[in-house]
Amino acid sequence: MPTFRIPTPLRPYSDGNAEVRVAGETVGAALEDLTSQYPQLRQHLYEEDKLRSFVNIYLNQEDIRYGKGTDTAVSEGDKLMIIPSIAGGR
Amino acid sequence: MLELTRALQARIEAQGAETYPYEGCGLLLGHSQAGRNVAVDIFPVPNRWEVEEEKPVRFRIDPQDMMRAELTAAERDLDVIGVYHSHPDHPPVASPRDLAWAAWPGYSYLITEVRQGQPALSRSWQLSPDRAGFEEEPLLVND
Repeated sequence: MPTFRIPTPLRPYSDGNAEVRVAGETVGAALEDLTSQYPQLRQHLYEEDKLRSFVNIYLNQEDIRYGKGTDTAVSEGDKLMIIPSIAGGR
Repeated sequence: MLELTRALQARIEAQGAETYPYEGCGLLLGHSQAGRNVAVDIFPVPNRWEVEEEKPVRFRIDPQDMMRAELTAAERDLDVIGVYHSHPDHPPVASPRDLAWAAWPGYSYLITEVRQGQPALSRSWQLSPDRAGFEEEPLLVND
């Protein structure tokens, strides 16, 4: 099963787990499984039905946007990361 | 609450002075428990804002840099607990831009004013749970 690494501020919504094993054959299915295991994560990752604009998903250290997005295939042992883009200024 | 050592604070201030008049930025590594963020190291990253002439008033942390920070933290049994950036010649108050492009509540947002190239006041903020605004959090600098 692939594993998601959960960013620190979201761990209160994953029962404190830094890593969560998920089922699914694509990144999208893995995300669905993650948010069905921990429904409170959903509001922090999604805005309506889309991933929030600052949320990036990395599969084995590659941004899935450079693959097939949420249709990118995942398999046993894959490492998924939820990485925020952060910007700002005065 | 954000806690950090005076030595770390000095490194953050030095980076802000070095990047002046541009905004400087990086990640705070440490531990987080029950709303208390304790930084034990920093992970400086380049300001990746695309428009050079806007860098005095804008910063952007590239997700690739954020990923490197996450991997480095995990290797050292630490976590990314927040973000720091400088405000050149501007008070260290979280701005509408900071709010618009913020990530999740729970990260500390440490802002350091750099006035005429010299580090000045730092204040720390957290996004409110409803994402409506930033709330100041106590900043504790230890020896």
